[in-house]
Amino acid sequence: MKRFGRELSVTASLLVLLAVLAVTAPAFFGKQQLLATLTAAAPVLVVACGMTLVILVRQIDISVGSQFAVCSIIAGLMARAGYPMVLVVPASIATGALLGAFNGWLVAALGLPSIVVTLATFVSWRETLRWVREGEFVKDLPDRFQWLGMGQSAGQGVILAVAALVFALLVYGLGWIALGRRVYAVGSDREAARLAGIRPGRVTWGAFVVLGALVGLAAVLNAIRFADVDPKTGTGLEMQVIAGVVVGGVAVSGGRGTLWGVLAGVLLLACISPALVFLKLPPQWEKAIQGGIILVAVAADRGGRSRLS
Amino acid sequence: MKRLLSLGPVLLSLAVVLSGCKPSAPDSGSTAPAAGSTSGGVPKPLTVAFLPKSKGNAYFIAARQGAEQAAKELGIKLLFDGPTEPDPAKQNEIVETWITRGVDVIAAACENREGISTALRKAQAHGIKVVTFDADALPEARSFFVNQATPEGIGNALTDEAARLLQGSGEYAIITASLTAGNMIEWQKAIEKRNAEKYPNLKRVALRPCDDLKDKAFAEATAILNANPNVKLLMAICSPAVPGAAEAVKQAGRVGQVKVIGLGLPNENKRYVKEGVTDTVILWRVVDLGRLTIHVAAALARGELKPGATEVTAGALGTFKISGDNVLLGEPFKFTKDNIDQFDF
Amino acid sequence: MSTAISVGKPSWWRSEFFLVGVLLLEIAIFSRTGSNFATAINALEIVRLSAEIGLLAVWMTPVVLTGGIDLSVGSLLGLCAVCFGKLWRDAGLPWPVAAAATLVLGALGGGLNAMLITRLRLPPLIVTLGSLSLFRGLAEAITRGVDNFTGFPSGFLDWGQGYLVGGIPAQAPVWIAVAAGVIVLVHYTVFGRALRAIGHSPEGARYAGIAVNRCVAWVYVLSGTAAGLAALVYVARVGQAKADAGTGYELLAITAVVLGGTSIFGGTGSVWGTLLGVASLAVLRNGLQLSDQPGELAGILTGVLLLGALSAEVGFKKFSARRRASVTLASSNSPS
Repeated sequence: MKRFGRELSVTASLLVLLAVLAVTAPAFFGKQQLLATLTAAAPVLVVACGMTLVILVRQIDISVGSQFAVCSIIAGLMARAGYPMVLVVPASIATGALLGAFNGWLVAALGLPSIVVTLATFVSWRETLRWVREGEFVKDLPDRFQWLGMGQSAGQGVILAVAALVFALLVYGLGWIALGRRVYAVGSDREAARLAGIRPGRVTWGAFVVLGALVGLAAVLNAIRFADVDPKTGTGLEMQVIAGVVVGGVAVSGGRGTLWGVLAGVLLLACISPALVFLKLPPQWEKAIQGGIILVAVAADRGGRSRLS
Repeated sequence: MKRLLSLGPVLLSLAVVLSGCKPSAPDSGSTAPAAGSTSGGVPKPLTVAFLPKSKGNAYFIAARQGAEQAAKELGIKLLFDGPTEPDPAKQNEIVETWITRGVDVIAAACENREGISTALRKAQAHGIKVVTFDADALPEARSFFVNQATPEGIGNALTDEAARLLQGSGEYAIITASLTAGNMIEWQKAIEKRNAEKYPNLKRVALRPCDDLKDKAFAEATAILNANPNVKLLMAICSPAVPGAAEAVKQAGRVGQVKVIGLGLPNENKRYVKEGVTDTVILWRVVDLGRLTIHVAAALARGELKPGATEVTAGALGTFKISGDNVLLGEPFKFTKDNIDQFDF
Repeated sequence: MSTAISVGKPSWWRSEFFLVGVLLLEIAIFSRTGSNFATAINALEIVRLSAEIGLLAVWMTPVVLTGGIDLSVGSLLGLCAVCFGKLWRDAGLPWPVAAAATLVLGALGGGLNAMLITRLRLPPLIVTLGSLSLFRGLAEAITRGVDNFTGFPSGFLDWGQGYLVGGIPAQAPVWIAVAAGVIVLVHYTVFGRALRAIGHSPEGARYAGIAVNRCVAWVYVLSGTAAGLAALVYVARVGQAKADAGTGYELLAITAVVLGGTSIFGGTGSVWGTLLGVASLAVLRNGLQLSDQPGELAGILTGVLLLGALSAEVGFKKFSARRRASVTLASSNSPS
């Protein structure tokens, strides 16, 4: 059980929070709020799944928020230009994959540290977007854009289903496919992985590409919830995602962690903000509470274990 | 070889910068700081620096649109720069660099009254004229403030509109940009004051920040609606929050039961106003605000506008009253279903 | 790829060489395109405006040298700024006392990071990510986001707005003294060598008799103190203290450190490089604005510069490694 210490401690934190809400503000579990919380968390979860791969191979990507904005805007502009959604969605995913491939190339082929590479691309993409769009919304989108033209409840269903599918595929892929095990191998010991016949560079590059593609998908999942696209969308996404992943127990030193922990971590963070509204806590405490929960969730697991290691 | 290759992008980008800059005009050389406007026989075009609270914000882009129009009318050089996020320290930095550059007038929208005044006073000490618009600095740090609406005017208009829609009683909630934004705080105070004085049965039950993001405003509005089933009105006091709140009401299926009002740009809200989700969007004519600001700045630099003046003429825009040292743009404007199509900003 | 960075003979001067080149190039270009760029006044202004980021960055260097990172400095700056305001205005302390208390507070904030990192052995990235939210949140909670401290006495404001003889800004001596102190500490003391050793291998350092935890703890405490000092300089320069002070400064500081050639994995790097990094970023921003270019370009070019500097370093190392290999190959032919 010690192996899943963090998964358990985070799930426990989530359950405590939900229990508090169940007692003090049962309305939190109303169908509408639950759906809203989950559909808002779905894109974050999709990105977090990709981020898990990247962190498992011992890298990090802090440019996901900027990639997310670029993909959202491209999806919005294409939809407005009259392209059908069956083209818009792949285009957004391809854009994300391309941006991810660029990061991955710099990291895997040139051997640059990923935190710095993605810091650079984080700033560059965001500023380029600001320069080009000047903060203007993409407006007047065709009706087939919001909820993919299927109406609200069907649209929400699609978003949740896609997120669940991505999650399930990655859980399966990481756990039961040779390719997935290679990710753990490279993250645990790069040199050993190489000697075992794995090409660490390719696996690393692949992780960035998958993350990028998932960012592109998440951008669409998020954008179709609305009637227009805000170019500032995705601001701070990297923090939400990285916090969710590491709180969920994925080690930043690579090679250790599961997607189940990530799921719990993302849900925990996604619940905090609406929970504060329901608990009627003053908003100025929000960031302090968020930081406190991250530290406690991470420290709780470690406190129990440090005597052993 | 690799190293040379990797140098490529740096050189390339710097070359882009170089080619982007005009081959230094004879009068903008690196010699005398250009404080006066007419120092020789040939009148040099006035340089006016226009400082928004933040870039990439549709509101200030609309203001810039007006400023550019005025610059063309007056034949002056317009500089537009600002921090990427509303940040008083970065605003100071930009003003201080403009002091070094040498400009004739600085027109600033101040994120933080006291913070920016330090830098603006320094600019004045260097012979640069200063006007403020949108949000004022300390009075001694500028000559004129182009006042689009006082915090009281905005607070009263919003509160009155809320009271009208709720017929004087009920619960409402506010969505703001951030807890630290200077003008938001002033508006909240004005709203609270008006609420307490005139509408005892109006009750604010929640105040949530949305970080100036539409998507977050939507999430906050949804949570507010579900947590406070008696809320009958959402008041969004930063521009991305208005469409965000409207979308939340629409998706909650409570159009009509929950009203939405706010401060925002007509273009971003047309859809919701026409659908009847958003009742009223309150704002001044932002484009005119930018245009008037540049006219005031130019008139000040050319000595046509002196302290104590009671009115100023802004070209084709007409004549505007000055009260004390506030140039008055006029009353806040209410965009509703009936008139919103006439505006494009 | 970590091997390419952390192993091999220390060739830190090369990345600084690159930065000197960038700096000269910037100066050459902006002297032509910028109004009043190449003036003594502007040079001093650049020093003045880069003081806060510079203070954070030079103290970030030892943190990164140990293989750590401190993402909380910007938030801690904000917290220290509002606490300084609170102590001075609401508690009625004279400003020098409040200032001293602020430095202590900064040290305490750094101490919290240090404790979580060394006692619980949590990764610095996660700890400081959490304290980034926590410190900013506390600053907002203390002031309810609304409170804004202004009207500080001129004796205090002079430290950020005043000028000494010859137009030298008042914060320059502080900034230079701190930078000099860090240079001595990192490059000329046993402590500095210990930091590098820890960055290369904490285990190895421990076996070599270095008190790893104590050294690491000190580094974060000092980084927190620097945030306190930067908060004072910030408040004195801007003349106000609010909960949003210093938002995003951590990224600027880290950018300068990394641009200066300090390996993000620890072990190698220099404070000189960081200073050059701070300078080239500050000159870039200043020069672009004086050339009437939009501020976004500064952000984009910062990214390009980062990638350029890193590729240059890695490229050079590969190049010299290959040359060394071919030399040893050639020489090994004869004796064996």
